[in-house]
Amino acid sequence: MQGGVTILPPRARETEPTAIEKLGRYFDCDAVPTGAVAVGNSVYASFGDGQVRVFRPDLPMQEVHAHQGAILSMALHNSGVLTGGDDGRVLYLDADKGTVELARFAGKWVDCVAAHSKGAWAASVGKTAHLSDVEGRIHALDHPSTVGGMAFDRKGERLAVAHYGGVTLWTRGRRDWKASSLKWAGSHGAVTWSPDNRFLVTTMQENALHGWRLRDKADMRMSGYPAKVKSMDWVGKLPHLASSGAQEAICWPFDGANGPMGQKPLTLCFDGDTLATAVTALPGHDALLCGFDNGVVLYSELDPMADPRVIKRRSGAAITHLVVTPDTGWMLAVAEDGLLLWAPLGRTGS
Amino acid sequence: MTEQIPVTVLTGFLGAGKTTLLNRILTENHGRKFAVIINEFGETGIDNDLVTHADEEVFEMNNGCICCTVRGDLIRIIGGLMKRKGLDGILIETTGLADPAPVAQTFYVDADVAARTRLDAILTVADAVNLSTHLDESHEAAEQIAFADIVLLNKTDLVDASALAAVEARLRSINPTAKIIRTARCDVDLDQVLGLKAFELERVLEIEPDFLTEDHAHEHDDAVTSISLHSDVPMSPDAFQMWFSRLLREKGQDLLRSKGIIDMKGEDQRYVIQGVHMLMDGNLLGPWPSGKKRETKLVFIGRNLDTMGLREGFEACKAA
Repeated sequence: MQGGVTILPPRARETEPTAIEKLGRYFDCDAVPTGAVAVGNSVYASFGDGQVRVFRPDLPMQEVHAHQGAILSMALHNSGVLTGGDDGRVLYLDADKGTVELARFAGKWVDCVAAHSKGAWAASVGKTAHLSDVEGRIHALDHPSTVGGMAFDRKGERLAVAHYGGVTLWTRGRRDWKASSLKWAGSHGAVTWSPDNRFLVTTMQENALHGWRLRDKADMRMSGYPAKVKSMDWVGKLPHLASSGAQEAICWPFDGANGPMGQKPLTLCFDGDTLATAVTALPGHDALLCGFDNGVVLYSELDPMADPRVIKRRSGAAITHLVVTPDTGWMLAVAEDGLLLWAPLGRTGS
Repeated sequence: MTEQIPVTVLTGFLGAGKTTLLNRILTENHGRKFAVIINEFGETGIDNDLVTHADEEVFEMNNGCICCTVRGDLIRIIGGLMKRKGLDGILIETTGLADPAPVAQTFYVDADVAARTRLDAILTVADAVNLSTHLDESHEAAEQIAFADIVLLNKTDLVDASALAAVEARLRSINPTAKIIRTARCDVDLDQVLGLKAFELERVLEIEPDFLTEDHAHEHDDAVTSISLHSDVPMSPDAFQMWFSRLLREKGQDLLRSKGIIDMKGEDQRYVIQGVHMLMDGNLLGPWPSGKKRETKLVFIGRNLDTMGLREGFEACKAA
């Protein structure tokens, strides 16, 4: 071979474990992952075998048996998580204190759950969202079709419920929750509020996101994805909504009054023709992680000129969930086949 | 990477014997694990954690295609079922009044459903005693026959031979390619109805040539009929693609199912197509078997077929 610079092909580049992989630990769970949530310095991951697996820095993985069937949904709640299962149960699960059954809907599936830090929570069964307010009163909120996703706003005053044809916005009144609707043709799944509560964005059954500016219900079409958007997260101080569904992380700027309207998204973490399948913000940083359908996880700053760095090498199955703990910067990367990497990001994230 | 789970769609009118068949599949010791999605009016009395109730929510797609409707509830439920491991198959029961098209289209249109499952077959349970009345009285009955890959003609013990022949002739006039299985109390070997791969393109190659010899007379404009087209002359690839895609685009709503094997001029392999309304799957599927003549066979099942100029359009695609 001649001298000079040798550029390794991607496969060769990936034969050596990354620094992050060397610091972390791999787990092989023989189950389909269904969710992952950071709870303080730990991460709870939910699975189709009904187990919640809890990861803490420098401690062994803890398995908590939660549901009889698959866990369909999970959300951060108080010092633990709220889970909904295809056994019809809604559980509050704290790995240190134990599990409490909050509700049971025999013979039904609990498709979606949402919770707010002040104590309100909601669980959906078919077309009905059962909302427990801060006083513990239960409200049954009905919708025209099956609930696809739910989220409380940052203050816990409103609950957004996505379904076919748009979003129903429930606002807390003196006694009841009042509905107003945001319409957009098509089927809506996951829903998220912008950090300033001014915008609402849903993933659609089509290859698109849809957003609303709540002040005037202005519609924002965010389309052009080659695949369905499965994952989205708010990144950075001037927030960008990062999303999967393309060959890179598509990051829509929400830095002005008009949200992303009339602006182009930032495209980060390009890694050849591989499809991005999961994204997550690095809490407190203008940076994100992006997972791909070949198992690779890349890190990038929120800057179009930034060079992505390899956090995790290819492993076969698609990354379905990525979570980073807010204070300590530990990452859980979850792949579809049940392979998990739990590792400290250390200086990469700082 | 992951294996696609076969899905069987079970249609048929109330009382035809759908529930009997479902109960057999759920209770018999066949060594396979089936998840069953039953409609909200399902009569299955079995409390089984693999039985899920569905709402039959039909969603219109925003892609501008007027007949692209999918079953939103199925997308959700199949997504949920995929979180469990070890399923051998999924069975979807529809109500007697449901249009089978949105169910079938869900498997073409939704990327997640298409990636994880494959439509195995549409199985219609028909009642030999009442089928003729059902066909006279409702739109949906003909549609369920038209979509079927297999018709389980049940209660054959309750009709005489001539009545049975008349019912079968009527079935054939609507759907010349479906496999008809006669049963008395749905007492069919389950291997004959499950795991058939009827939607695989290879199966199109098995269309019995006997069914393709003649057109069937239609009774009135709204009736579901079929038309079979045949050519010994190779087709011009460009002309055929243009005609066929335009046909699906413009007449897709009336075309319920289409299937065919095409002899394209200049192509060594058989081109095989299979479609539901406007959605179509087509591919080159290996060379023509030696000793068998190259020929084009095309079957359409739908409404208003004679007014579509199908025969003229087809003839015009023959390579000079």
